[in-house]
Amino acid sequence: MTAREVVIGHRLGLHARASAQLVQLSGKFRSDIRIARSDRGADQAADARSILAILLLAAGYGTRVEVRADGEDEQEAVRAICDYLEGSVGTVGNG
Amino acid sequence: MVERVLKGIAASPGVAFGHAVTAWDPELVTLNYTLEEAEVETQVESLRNSIEKSRRQLRKMQAELESSAAGDSTTLIDAHLLILEDSMFIDRIVEKIRAERINAEWAIQSVSGTIFEAYDRVHDDYLRDRRGDLEDIVRRLLFNLRSYQPPTFRSLRYHSILVGRTILPSTLLELKSPRLVGVVTETGSPLSHTAIIARSMDVPTVMGVADVLPGLISGELIIVDGDEGVVIRAPSEHTLRDYRKRIKRVELSRRRMARAVHAPCVTKDRISILLASNINFKDEVASVVSNECEAIGLYRTEFDFFREGAPLAENKLVADYAHVLSTARSLPVNIRAIDVGMQDGVEGSVVQPGPRGLRFLLQNKALFRRQLRAIYRASPQGHARIVLPFVSTLDELGEAKEVLADVRTRLSKKGVAYDETVPVGVMIETPAAAQTCDLMASEVDFFCLGTNDLIQYSLAIDRSERVSMDLYNPFHPAVLRLLRQVHDLVAPTGKTIVVCGELAADPIAAAVLLGLGFSALSVRVGAYPRVKRMIRSVVLSELRELAAQLLKMRTRVEIEQRVREVLA
Repeated sequence: MTAREVVIGHRLGLHARASAQLVQLSGKFRSDIRIARSDRGADQAADARSILAILLLAAGYGTRVEVRADGEDEQEAVRAICDYLEGSVGTVGNG
Repeated sequence: MVERVLKGIAASPGVAFGHAVTAWDPELVTLNYTLEEAEVETQVESLRNSIEKSRRQLRKMQAELESSAAGDSTTLIDAHLLILEDSMFIDRIVEKIRAERINAEWAIQSVSGTIFEAYDRVHDDYLRDRRGDLEDIVRRLLFNLRSYQPPTFRSLRYHSILVGRTILPSTLLELKSPRLVGVVTETGSPLSHTAIIARSMDVPTVMGVADVLPGLISGELIIVDGDEGVVIRAPSEHTLRDYRKRIKRVELSRRRMARAVHAPCVTKDRISILLASNINFKDEVASVVSNECEAIGLYRTEFDFFREGAPLAENKLVADYAHVLSTARSLPVNIRAIDVGMQDGVEGSVVQPGPRGLRFLLQNKALFRRQLRAIYRASPQGHARIVLPFVSTLDELGEAKEVLADVRTRLSKKGVAYDETVPVGVMIETPAAAQTCDLMASEVDFFCLGTNDLIQYSLAIDRSERVSMDLYNPFHPAVLRLLRQVHDLVAPTGKTIVVCGELAADPIAAAVLLGLGFSALSVRVGAYPRVKRMIRSVVLSELRELAAQLLKMRTRVEIEQRVREVLA
């Protein structure tokens, strides 16, 4: 299992568009990927492939979250998703 | 969940427990029922078909948007498409269908209900808006499911309560079933057609319950209290116990009253009162006959007339009326020509004023003639009487009588058998008719007094307005005086008046009507036993005195107090 903490860098946080793109990105990996807010328990982690769960995180700009992946491509998955969440990839900054 | 009592307006009396069946919008009522083992996989299959169909629709929409350069909005459709693949949603629905053996509609609403609740707990305005995306998808799935299997209440295996923002009268008619035990709406009023139908179906109903739908999970147990006008969600054990007791009590007194149904309809001082029944559907006539009721005081024909969405063909109308007349045997049946034209369909919306009642019929003579021909053609089957709705001037009445005469002449020419002596009466339900009923008397054979509209128009109340319900009060001094005036104008003419509005169905108000001098009442079938019981328990001379006192009183409150003191 690979895990890493990251701070949401999208100006509007994980809202509809950013969430949709996150879910699509997660779909490219084979690992099981979960995202949890650091201020809540890991039991409230959201499946990164579930848009409803991701939206429910209500993770706004500056929220600290932990990304965990478990599977054959877990390292690539965590890296890609963290990069995305920090807002360092893609042109999706407007959320 | 904690018990919640939601306040509304009592629209049809009685109390019921049942599982909520939510009508997402007036056009989309979904039914929830449990499945037999063999049906489970078919339901999963239907769900998958609906998802696939929804996906195709969304992709098509997306393609159109992309080509129209509104490319940005396609990400919203992406979100919708992702919801359709979301395990938190779809997998749970499938699991629910299989584990709880419930139909797809129910599972969809149950799962989405839980998600909605989770969303509502999050204090984030943007997120709360996203709820709309899920609602949208749910609606789409339900719509697409429906094309695979049209719903019917007959599939329900337990008592259900229909809950919707608005429930159309036609929906209630379509869903008529013993399984439908209650109705709850966010809009509407006790004067609406939906409420009238609910009462005639004897289904407890509460209307005007603000915000009952959000958060309501389909299948949830709720109580509808149509006496107090409240809906109770997540009732506690204690509340349930109370209501069970109440239902038992009501059942007991109903049985006691049912026994009194066959007793003669006379007051304690041996004055005979004519107690008739109103019906809204042809099928109700059987229960009228079994009550040994003396007449059908008002058959509101518009519900049957439009039951197929469009006016029925003449032959079907003839079959309807022949059925009613022959089932009623020798009882007189006041068949009221269709009273339409008002915006009764969409309740709670702005009422669109337009010609209604007789004015509508005179502007749509083909329809009017069709119905009259049907009534005459069925007339040899029993004792038909024709009632003209919403009459306001003698001119209209004259024009209507010409149409009637013309219809008869043409039938005779064709050699069609009909009863030439079918009496013709008018509704007194506009202040204009109330003022001129003595002048109309020589033109008609009898009168029906429609208190619903008469009160509404006399007190200048808007039917669809929720706020005005307090105003709608039969004990307003103006109403009592108007009713007395109608009685006094008609009495010397020797013509009969049957009071057929809702007023007569309330035993206390009915007693006041007797005191005012009226001796013929017509009430909905469900109210018949209790009004009969009232009649048998009062002394008419005392009611006359009471009415004389009431007519001198100045305020509604004063009148109501006095009435309750004496009669309650």
